[in-house]
Formats: sequence, structure tokens, C-alpha cells
Amino acid sequence: MTDISTRVPHVMSSPGGRRRRNGGRPRVGTVAAFLTPFFLPFLLFYVAPVGYALWQSLRVVRRTGGQYGTSYTAFGGFEQYAQVFQNTEFWASIGRIGLFGIVQVPVMLFIALIMALLLDTPLLRLKAFFRITAFMPYAVPGVIAAIMWSYLYSPQLSPVVDLLEGIGWQPDFLGPGAVLWSAANVSTWLWTGYNMLIMYAALQAIPQELYEAAKLDGAGQWTIAWRIKVPIIAPAIVLTTVFSIIGTLQLYAEPAVLRQISSNISSTFTPNMLAYAVASGNNYQQAAAISVVIAVITFVLSFGFMRLTSKKAGL
Amino acid sequence: MSTTVTRTGLAAAAALSLALLAGCSSPADSDTAAAGSCTPAKGKVTLQYWNTVPGMDKVVALWNKNNPDIQVQTKNISNDQYGTLGNALKAGKAPDLAQVGYDQLPSLRTQNAFVDASACSTAAAAKSQFVPWTWSQTSFGGTGVFAFPQDTGPMALYVRSDIFKKYDLPIPKTWDEYAAAAQKLHKANPNISITFFDPNNAEWFNGLLWQNGAEMYSYSGDKWHVTVESDQSKQVAEYWQKLISDKLVRTDLANGSTQMYAAYQKDQVASYVGASWGYSMFRDNLPQQAGKWTIVPMPTWGADGASGDWGGSTVAFMKGNSHLYESVKFNTWLNTDPKALALENKLGGLYPAANAGLRLPALSQGVAYYNNEKIFDVFADSSKKINTSFAWGPTQKTANLALQDAMAKAAAGDGTLTDALSTSQAAALKSMKDQAIPATAGK
Repeated sequence: MTDISTRVPHVMSSPGGRRRRNGGRPRVGTVAAFLTPFFLPFLLFYVAPVGYALWQSLRVVRRTGGQYGTSYTAFGGFEQYAQVFQNTEFWASIGRIGLFGIVQVPVMLFIALIMALLLDTPLLRLKAFFRITAFMPYAVPGVIAAIMWSYLYSPQLSPVVDLLEGIGWQPDFLGPGAVLWSAANVSTWLWTGYNMLIMYAALQAIPQELYEAAKLDGAGQWTIAWRIKVPIIAPAIVLTTVFSIIGTLQLYAEPAVLRQISSNISSTFTPNMLAYAVASGNNYQQAAAISVVIAVITFVLSFGFMRLTSKKAGL
Repeated sequence: MSTTVTRTGLAAAAALSLALLAGCSSPADSDTAAAGSCTPAKGKVTLQYWNTVPGMDKVVALWNKNNPDIQVQTKNISNDQYGTLGNALKAGKAPDLAQVGYDQLPSLRTQNAFVDASACSTAAAAKSQFVPWTWSQTSFGGTGVFAFPQDTGPMALYVRSDIFKKYDLPIPKTWDEYAAAAQKLHKANPNISITFFDPNNAEWFNGLLWQNGAEMYSYSGDKWHVTVESDQSKQVAEYWQKLISDKLVRTDLANGSTQMYAAYQKDQVASYVGASWGYSMFRDNLPQQAGKWTIVPMPTWGADGASGDWGGSTVAFMKGNSHLYESVKFNTWLNTDPKALALENKLGGLYPAANAGLRLPALSQGVAYYNNEKIFDVFADSSKKINTSFAWGPTQKTANLALQDAMAKAAAGDGTLTDALSTSQAAALKSMKDQAIPATAGK
């Protein structure tokens, strides 16, 4: 275990942190008593469902008899996975959220970073107010947020669209080219405050002496922000990026809600929507295989990103 | 198959083959479609009945009051009807009776979700009490009884008579006349559309296909025959494709959405191709337009004047039901007794599938919102003209989703509705293959 009690965050993931010296080994019973509350739910609600999905994904449906014969499942090896990899809809949905993530994640994190830095300057007043206002959207459930935004996008109901039409612009937020970005906007609105708060918390942990030293060296607020604050909170930014990559791959609520008012979102718009559509067609084994592939991609991308950044930044 | 003897013989043969099947295939996690036994229970019985109809608890309360020995407990599952049912079935905890839409019956039967109630002679005898096509859907055209029909959605055309009058449009009797009216209206005022095409609504489109005699699924020679792509369905697809391409119908409204009501509210749409249950939607959501609407028969394709159906449900006998005798008794009352039907119509807006229901006093009266017109006469007439041999597929949901996705593409100018039919056909065949259901394309 690395020591996480130090106040400067970048020490958090430094390798070879001080190890606590073990005087005497704790008794097995004590260890078990402390670990059970974690491992029991972990096994029940995490390992078991994942294991079940893996098992399901290796099975295929067989049937005896004719029209309404009796069905059972049998071992099918990687048949379901082969189907997933051949499924053009699956790759289309991966491509779609890939594009979504490449644009939405940087935009959102950049806004979150700017907001966190602004909150951290001594110049800003009413900090508590701005902090809570920026965080507020996170308290709104994703489905509700999407419903709310769907009203703002809808040409029939939206005052925003009316206003824009008033100045001679005919926006089509739900059109084939725009709807992905309309969904991205909802995600950005929902999650920016959350990410801002993580970055802001990291900023709060920076010792004031650093700023005083910088000021003595003649650094202004701008220089302090970019030369001191941002590099120090880099681990927090990496963390929010990883969360956002995972969130993007699991995108479901926003497009699923917008789908009800825009036919330009298909039932296979995101990988999770595809898995849901397949499961609702009773093909649970295929849906399980899709879920496993999504999980693997998520794992590879998020850990890949962490390794890449930690090597580069020497974190 | 007209004599009782043959029918009993067939039933026996079916039961025997089922028994043989059950005998020769018993892998650990297999299910069997058991034919139930029909013996009255000794003493008091409590049945579980899951449904999605508002006010059903009050209907059941009436039954419970008069039948102390057969008590029924209801549970509303409208939140996630098929998800809830599917989970309960997988867990082996399905209710005795559950509401299931007609289009989901075959797929649930493929999952072995039902018990055959034909062991009770009263169940098979109920046939004569229902509108014929509803019965053939619940018995899958055979002699089994897996559900009783509850309500239907015979289709009709809702017309804004004031707009039609203003632009001098005659009430269209055929689809050609409807297209002509669409053109005339568009010429007179491009801001008004005759109706909208909802690309996200396969159920509605299926109703239109049904009207034209398009039979998408049939079964013979140990195989399903998939004919989603047929001459009849192509005719319907091409018709609507032309209306869409010529921009005579809108494609940006979803049925029942706030956006749809807003468009009707702003007088931007002049008619609505809908089902019987839609009458209360307009009444409740557009109260200011009282007296402006009239309901007429759906435009027809040929001289026979066939109609289509959109929606409707059954009450199915679920797997694990051990009180078949009592279930049949309650289910019969629930769906044929005039008192029960009247209450369901009043509280839940159900349009009954039972012949007795079509004669309900409430359905023979004028409806204030529609100028006191006897609108249910139109639906009753429509109900009688629905093709009885139409059948749903065993993977209907997958076929519908594929159809919707492709219809949406067509509406956005990427492909045509005819392409959407081929996409749906391919999806139907593939999903049946995935479920190991023997199927082939074409008749």
C-alpha cells in the first residue's frame, strides 16, 4: 500500500511509498472479520453477476421439436463472440461513442478545469454559491436531465428554438447530424460540475506555501494556475478522464430518452443500447457476450490511458 | 377440423407428442410446455394476476366480493411489463395469470411461458364468445388455449372536420383518395400536413400492413415462414414512402408524445390514423378541440374494405399455474361478463375483445367530445373487418426494432420503407436462427 495520508496529491500514486513496518502479524480471525463486510457483497453483487454473464456468453440456445419446441441452452464456445465481432451494428455503435468520447470528454474536462481554477482564485466571491450551482446538475438523475433537455431541443415546444428562429436560424437539434452532439451536451451539463469538484478538491490540497513562494518569485495568478496548480492536480485530471472514458462507454440514459422524440437515434445507437435491444429480443446469451466485450474494451481503454499518462507525466 | 371428434383427436395427439418431447429431451435447464390438469381445488384458492390496466384492482375487488373461494390478487406491472414477466418466469415465480399483448404471445410461447388451459372444457368453449381473430391469436390457430383475449385496437381515421371543411377536402374512403387529399391540402397550405408517419412505431406500421392482408408469419411443414417482405407489405411501404418523399406527411412526431399534441394543438396536422383506444387521448389532451374531430372508417385498399388492428392484450395462463379450473373461471368472467367489461372500459379505457363487450351500453352511446357521434360503431365495424389469419412471429420484438431503425433511416432519406421491410425480414430470420427456431424466407 502506498501512503495516501500526505496532503500533496501527486504523491498519491508514487511507486514504492513507505511501507508500514509490521511488528507482529495480525491474527487471521481479525483479518477475516475486517474483510468479510467488503468481500461478501463484492462476491455477491460483483463477482457473481460478472461470472454469470461470462457463463451465459459461452452458451447457445438449442431446441427440440418444431414450431414451439422445448428450448434449452448448451455450451457454444465462442460462437456468441464471433457473432458480436461480425455485427456491423456493434462496430457502428462503438465508432459512434468513440467519436462522442473524443469530442465530449476533452470539452467537458476543459470546462471543469477552468471552473475549478476560477473557484480557486482568491478573486472570486460567493464561492460556496458557485460551487453548489455548478455541482447541482449532478444531483439531477440522468433520465430527468435528458427529458428536460429534450424539451429544449424539441422544435414543437422549445423556447430556445423559437428564439433562434426569431433571429433567422433554423436549428435542428434532433437531426441526423446533430443528435449525437445534443446527447453530448446533456452529458456535459450533467457531469461537468462533478468533475470540477474532484479537481477543486485536489486544488484545495495544495499547500499555500507554494503559492507564497511563487508570488515571491513574481508569478501572477495566471502563471500560478498553469505552472503550479494544473501540473500538481494532474492525477485528479487523469482520474476524471478515466471516469469519463468509462462513462462514455456505458452511455445509455441520455440517448435512450432522446430516442423517444428523435427517430435519428436507433435502438443500437450505443453499445449498451444494443445489448439491451438484443436482451429484450430474448437473446440473453448474445447480450451477455456484448456486455463482456464492452467491459473488456472499457478495461483496456481506461487502464491503457492510466498507464500512458502515468509514464509520460512520471506520476 | 370441423367435428369435435377430430379436434379432440388432434388435442390428444398434440398432448402425446408434447409428452414424448418432454420425455426425450430433459437437459438440466430445459422447460416444457405442460398441458395443465383441470381439477377444482378443495377449499379456498388465491390466484395471482399481473396486469397493466388502470383500475383493474377495482374490477378484481368486484370479483373477490362475490367469489370468497377464489380470491384474486392483482399487481400492476405497467412499468416494465415484459421485463417483470420474463424475470418471474426465469425465477420460476410467474403469476397464475398475466396480461400479454397479442404480438408478444408467440415469442413468450417460444420461451415456454404458458400452460395450455384446454384441459378445461370451459376454456375451449369460450371461443364463441370472442371476436374470431382475437381467439385465433390466443390459440395460435390450433386447439390449445393459452390466453383469453381482453381488448383490441381496431383502427380508424380521426379527422379534423373543420380543417377538412376549410380546405374543401372530401372524407377519403380509399388510400388513393387520402393521398389526393394530402396533396390538395399541401398545395393550399404547406404548413399543414394531412398526418404524420411515426418512424419509431413498428406496431402502428404493422397495423397498416395487417389491413392490406400482409401476413408476415405462418407455420407449416415444421418451419416458420417469414414473409415480412411481401407484395402486400411492399404496396403499403411504397405508398407511405411516396408521401414521405413528397413531404406530404411529417416524420418528426412520435405517437402520444407532447410534441405530437403540440402539433395538433397548433392545427398543423389534419388527421390521425389510429386505434380505438386513441379516442380518449385526444379527448384528454386536446380539450379545446372538442367538437372539431370526427372518426370515420380507415381508408381502404380494395373493395373488400378490410381493417387493421393496433395493440390490444390478452390474459394468459402462465406456466406453473396449478389452479387451472379456478383461473379459467375468473378469466372468463373478467373478459366476458358485461359488468366486468363495462368497468374495464370505464376505468381502463379498454375496447373489449368479447362479443358481449361490443354491445356494452357505454359503447353504443354518443361521445360528447366527438359531437355526440356514435364513434364506437365505427370501431365495432372495423373490428369485424380485421383479417383473422394474421399471425405474429416468435421473435416479433427483434423484427420490430429492426423495422423501426430502418424506417427512421428511410424517413431521414437513407433508404426506403421497402428496404426497411427487407431489413426486418432479415432480422426476423436471424433472430429465429439464434433461438434455434426453424424458419425460412417466403411461403
